[in-house]
Amino acid sequence: MARIGVFVCWCGSNIAGTVDVKRVAEEAAKIPGVVEAIDYKYMCSDPGQNAFRNMIKDKNLTGVVLAACSPHMHENTFRKAAIKEGLNPYFVEIANIREQVSWVHEDKEKATEKAIDLLKMMVEKVKRNKPIEDVRVPLTKKALVIGGGISGIQAALDIANGGVEVILVEKEPSIGGKMIQLDETFPTLDCSSCIMTPKMVEAYQHPNIKLYTYSELEDVSGYIGNFNVKIRKKARSIVEKDCTGCGDCWNACPMHKNVKSEFNVNLSERTAIYVPFPQAVPLIPVIDRSVCLHYKKGGKCQKCYDACGPKCINFDLQDEIIEEKVGAIVAATGYDLMENSLYGEYGYGQFKDVVSGLQFERLLSASGPTEGVIKRPSDGKTPETIVFIQCVGSRDPEKGVPYCSKVCCMYTAKHAKLFAHKVHGSQSYVFYIDIRATSKGYEEFVRSTMENDGAIYLRGRVSKIYENGGKLIVKGADTLSGNQVEIAADMVVLATGVIPKKGSDKMAQMLGISYDKYGFYTESHPKLRPAESSTAGIYLAGMAQGPRDIPESVVSGSAAASKILGLFSKSEYEVEGTIASVNKTTCVGCFYCQRVCAYSAISKEEVKDRSGNVLKVVANVNSGLCTGCGACVNACFSKSIDVRGFMDEQIFAEIKSLAV
Amino acid sequence: MKTVINEQQRRNFVGEVESKLHDKLAKCYQCGKCSAGCPVNFEMDYTPNQIIKMAELGMIDNVLNSKTIWLCVSCNTCSTRCPKGFEVAGIMDVLREIAARRGIKSKTEKEIQTFHEVFLDNVKSNGRIFELELVGKYKLKTKHLFRDMFLAPKMIEKGKLKMHSDKVSNINQIAKIFKDFE
Repeated sequence: MARIGVFVCWCGSNIAGTVDVKRVAEEAAKIPGVVEAIDYKYMCSDPGQNAFRNMIKDKNLTGVVLAACSPHMHENTFRKAAIKEGLNPYFVEIANIREQVSWVHEDKEKATEKAIDLLKMMVEKVKRNKPIEDVRVPLTKKALVIGGGISGIQAALDIANGGVEVILVEKEPSIGGKMIQLDETFPTLDCSSCIMTPKMVEAYQHPNIKLYTYSELEDVSGYIGNFNVKIRKKARSIVEKDCTGCGDCWNACPMHKNVKSEFNVNLSERTAIYVPFPQAVPLIPVIDRSVCLHYKKGGKCQKCYDACGPKCINFDLQDEIIEEKVGAIVAATGYDLMENSLYGEYGYGQFKDVVSGLQFERLLSASGPTEGVIKRPSDGKTPETIVFIQCVGSRDPEKGVPYCSKVCCMYTAKHAKLFAHKVHGSQSYVFYIDIRATSKGYEEFVRSTMENDGAIYLRGRVSKIYENGGKLIVKGADTLSGNQVEIAADMVVLATGVIPKKGSDKMAQMLGISYDKYGFYTESHPKLRPAESSTAGIYLAGMAQGPRDIPESVVSGSAAASKILGLFSKSEYEVEGTIASVNKTTCVGCFYCQRVCAYSAISKEEVKDRSGNVLKVVANVNSGLCTGCGACVNACFSKSIDVRGFMDEQIFAEIKSLAV
Repeated sequence: MKTVINEQQRRNFVGEVESKLHDKLAKCYQCGKCSAGCPVNFEMDYTPNQIIKMAELGMIDNVLNSKTIWLCVSCNTCSTRCPKGFEVAGIMDVLREIAARRGIKSKTEKEIQTFHEVFLDNVKSNGRIFELELVGKYKLKTKHLFRDMFLAPKMIEKGKLKMHSDKVSNINQIAKIFKDFE
């Protein structure tokens, strides 16, 4: 027999001003099963909570209903109080008569009626509640970080420094990501590689970090605390432990000047056996089998092998699949730049001296193809006038993307500044739509580029670029003076928009996390849970989430790391018990539930008889992944799934309580 | 309107303006507060902030032939309110002077330009305004001999129109100021 206690909270005048709380309590006392109903000024106060606990004890209650504020406010408070009196916390229900009644209604009579109805519903529900135990999931205290750019490295280092083992997977032959390609960084003009290489080396040498470069994630299964991952370690054709990184092999390669260097964004060439850049970590070359003569000409060429002192080149090495068990994952897969060729009017690819922002970084960089001397690609002359065009691809819903790429305003100002510093007497023109310089020191940086370094900023877009007499004629607009403007330039730099890394959608599907229409991973909550993905145990960092600059990427890497260290600080992971459960007797195994589950929480389970014969296959809910959203309940044709605490029986009883 | 930017010309012009203005054109961030508060903006062909931008881009003809530079009454509302402390009214003076030196005659604001010239001549020779001479010369040049004539008796009565020049004692200093601007 149910013994229900009811408490009606005044919330000062918040509720009592609009709802006749005395009447609500009187009506509640008449509901069958209710043993006592009282009203009180502030239930959340200490005396209020004591009254709550005393009634559970004195009246030997089997359930409690509070008519009070939103359960978001104090559900936890009262559940904890119930536990102290030995009552299962899921036997405490709250009828929200503040946010849903007193705050939104004025008519006291009608508001009181509504409050009584809501209370009745909760009484009927709590009568049918069943004890629910929170789910505990074991944790494998090891983390996987996908992507060895600045945010991935930062996440890996922070986790590793917290004493947890980390596996860092990088697709390219070296870690470093995009940041290592940059020259100097805004707004302080720190040399990018000078601040990046120490971090790369630290990650490589850290005792808690296992680094897999030239490797890709092949498969992910499992759930928070218990992921199984497969990593494909692509064949480098080098026995890594023997390689000294001396460089004899790539110096001997006959394929020099044949392959465009990815690191220098096609501005220089590399050999078939190569390291992407001299400071690569690890400093171990890789053979590009798509161009290497050994593979193309049936093993005839082996000049690198001949040159190699420790004979660590092995042409027959195969890809390896490495299996690891981890408890948490950081997706820091980074970004790509848009195709400039989308804009035929800017002549990218047609005119050699129209380059992308990243290419200009390489031209500025001391480790670049020109050793830091700005030379234009066509004839190697030092340009005197450069036109920079911002928002190429960004903020262009027609051809490009509608969002702002966030970093271009700042790196263009930096380019113009460095150009003024390196080529005295030079002139830069910047076409912009708006200047977005919102972080610490950014606005001052842009202003100083204009006022101290003489860059001329023109508000407007460029419509066309053509060649005339060795110059690039740039036709644009200056909307501030209302003029069409024509500038003869030696070089044009396009501030190309940022897009998610190619294949980030596939990666998201493999990880079972959600992503937006562009392919950027979406946060669990854009403001309050910015480091978490939609799937428990998978965290996000860096540009894979959307455009951001280096400081923000570092912050996001650290944020993901701190979330993981927090998760691992407990012995087990606790999940609220209000998750879906399957009635295996009635389940017909259609797996429609599996298709609608956004969290990949449903798997197939075989039901066997005593002799091990499979009787049928039914749905099984993974308690580590289920969030209790209820999508499967709606989808189930045979009514075999219920969310604990929100069973059909309870919901129907609630509705029935309203029928007069 | 189309402008082909000639880098050398642009630089020379910006250099000339900035050296006379003792301020940097790049300081302006085109917020438009000057134009927002300008009491004669409604008659101007370019707003004050447009004049600054065009000067920076070396659009010399547009700037020096504009109405704006002559319509500016030097009330200094713009300069007072400018968030960057830019000499907005000052640049109008500078541009007027550069236009005058280059012999550019305003097609629309002839009388204002004439008044400007007569006024500065007057200051140059007296060190301050000698109203009678100023009025006389202005009327002879514009040929509006009888305009506003009835104001004269009142002004004489109130002692606003003196009959003889009252030069400043150290006229050499005035000459030096004019020379410095050259």
